[in-house]
Amino acid sequence: MAKVKRQKDRTFLQDLLDFQGSLNGKSELLDEIRLKGAEGVRNTHFPRPKDEDWRFISLRDLYSDSYVLASDLDVEVPDISDHYLPESQDARLVFINGVFSEQHSSTDALPDDVVIGNIARLAAEGSELLEKHLNQYADFEDDAFTSFNSAFLKDGAFIYIPKERKVEAPVHLLFVQTDADQNYFATSRSVIVADEGSDITLVEDHIGLGNNKYFNLPVVELKLEEDAFVKHTKIQRESREAIHIARTGAYVAKHSNYESYTVTCGAKLSRNEPRISQRDEEVEFTVDGLVLIDGNQVSDTHSVMDHRFSHADSHQLHKCVINGKAHSVFNGKIFVRKDAQRIDSFQENRNLLLSRKGTVNTKPQLEIFADDVVCTHGATVGQLEEDEVFYLKSRGLNEQQARELLIYAFALETIENITVDSVQELLVDEVHKFTERQLDSEIAV
Amino acid sequence: MLEIRDLHVCVEEDGTEILKGVNLNVNKGEIHAIMGPNGSGKSTLSKVVAGQEAYEVTQGDILFEGESILELEPEERAHLGIFLAFQYPVEVPGVTNKNLLRQAYNTIAREQGREELDPLQFEDYAYEKLELVDMKPEFLDRSVNAGFSGGEKKRNEIFQMAVLNPRLSFLDETDSGLDIDALKTVAGGINKISNEDNAVVLVTHYQRILDYVQPDKVHVMIDGKIAKTGDKDLAVKLEDQGYDWVMDEVASVSVNGEQQ
Repeated sequence: MAKVKRQKDRTFLQDLLDFQGSLNGKSELLDEIRLKGAEGVRNTHFPRPKDEDWRFISLRDLYSDSYVLASDLDVEVPDISDHYLPESQDARLVFINGVFSEQHSSTDALPDDVVIGNIARLAAEGSELLEKHLNQYADFEDDAFTSFNSAFLKDGAFIYIPKERKVEAPVHLLFVQTDADQNYFATSRSVIVADEGSDITLVEDHIGLGNNKYFNLPVVELKLEEDAFVKHTKIQRESREAIHIARTGAYVAKHSNYESYTVTCGAKLSRNEPRISQRDEEVEFTVDGLVLIDGNQVSDTHSVMDHRFSHADSHQLHKCVINGKAHSVFNGKIFVRKDAQRIDSFQENRNLLLSRKGTVNTKPQLEIFADDVVCTHGATVGQLEEDEVFYLKSRGLNEQQARELLIYAFALETIENITVDSVQELLVDEVHKFTERQLDSEIAV
Repeated sequence: MLEIRDLHVCVEEDGTEILKGVNLNVNKGEIHAIMGPNGSGKSTLSKVVAGQEAYEVTQGDILFEGESILELEPEERAHLGIFLAFQYPVEVPGVTNKNLLRQAYNTIAREQGREELDPLQFEDYAYEKLELVDMKPEFLDRSVNAGFSGGEKKRNEIFQMAVLNPRLSFLDETDSGLDIDALKTVAGGINKISNEDNAVVLVTHYQRILDYVQPDKVHVMIDGKIAKTGDKDLAVKLEDQGYDWVMDEVASVSVNGEQQ
């Protein structure tokens, strides 16, 4: 068991690092990345309260406990078929506590020339595609968490869509975290490569089955070649005691279009860091987000839209609904590099604060070094209007129905472009449960 | 149908008394008009009947079909068949007219023990009602009042009334801000919805809608009370002479009252 006592000035995470070497020996490719990752962790430090990018949230909850490696757990896997998406029948990869589950996965619905599978297997087979693309697109320099993810790199999803191939079925990447008696650490690395003119819809789905504490650290890398179109929906529904720290790096090439929609409703503490890096002229990308949090939940989104070449159209609408003592943080960086002209960038963070004890920190951050640029940005914090609620109640809707409708109406703009119907339905359901908890908590007060 | 007895109401926040003893009886099959100058309490009366929580009833009662409704939530009043057309209809972006109205219709139907309608049945039903207010089918798929013109919002209120088919409707200044064509459309809708089983109370500042909707009774509200009740002729007189003469009458009555 990877469990040791804490030493002075070290967190349990560093202690855990001593055990990453036990993963070595199965693939040179992975061994090398792990070695570099472990080095990276040793050469930097995990975020401290004074670090500018971490000053609004506390990681004490992450540092104060010890964790075992998820792979050391004895896991009895319950029936998870309820969480399958009907549209992704036979287009699904399932990872349980970070480890690929063959029995739950099926990719029969996908065209034969699409390379899809788990990284552990592809690495063992010596896949050249994997070697070419793994660990290339997550540019998180000096970030201990990305290095930590590399240091424990073991498994995850790999998808390569060949030129001009349009994949009809949305691909469901289902990451299940099980209930357990011990706190555990799970990690995954996923790589999606969309070659020229290809088209794919992805649903990255993180689900916690219990109410237990664990630390999940997924890193996703995407590469969009010329004219590629990738729609990427991420749903985070971890256990309400979990810590979810995620990085998503996307490289977008000429004429490509990356649309990403991230929905956060789970975890006690979550941090999303999407980072879109423009690699050539004439691209479009969207980094929208919806956060629904209550109780003691903390959700933090730090995004980077890096405009490195001319002619980009980028869009970020980030909406948060906050109840109870929940705390939402948004920091959206927009970089426009020198000579990256004709950039049209939109960014807005809108917050619906339902309680007096909720907190919102929001900070748009623009760094523009070109002159022919249109960047609009803004942030608002509002409440549910009593006259709106009364209007709907006077039409016969009860308090719950009225609030649900208004919260859903607020949220809709960030999720209406998700094209997978069952995902839309499950989000309606999440809004319903959220509103139900909101009313319950008011009754309790 | 509706019986309001000596109703006193104040604003919950600061205790300002707005209604100072309103008495009003509305029977089924009737159309009433409540007129009065700004600030006389007409709008407050409609909101209090619909259950707006910003007001506190300090005295008196509101009976609907013989039962007090003071303790009922706004939605419970809606379930009984009470409807308020808002003076300033609220915009709800993201919620289509169709979705709101189907949910409202079915909730009320369920409460009243009537059959609910599935989306297709509801669409057919709603199309019929659209004609009453001369609205196009696209209206159903637009977000509730979002980006509507003033006239469209008012027509939408009457459309909602037609769909929900209430027993008692308070129309709070539904005629204000309308050009003459829109006014005729709105009035036509009210006339088509009005029948011997329901009742309509028009709360209005102006007489002109009464050229198109024939009221059975006209009330004048002054300073939180119904100061005078008459028929259509009263409305015409108000239009010609304004409210001053009614106020003078009220003042002399209260002076006399004090002298006694």
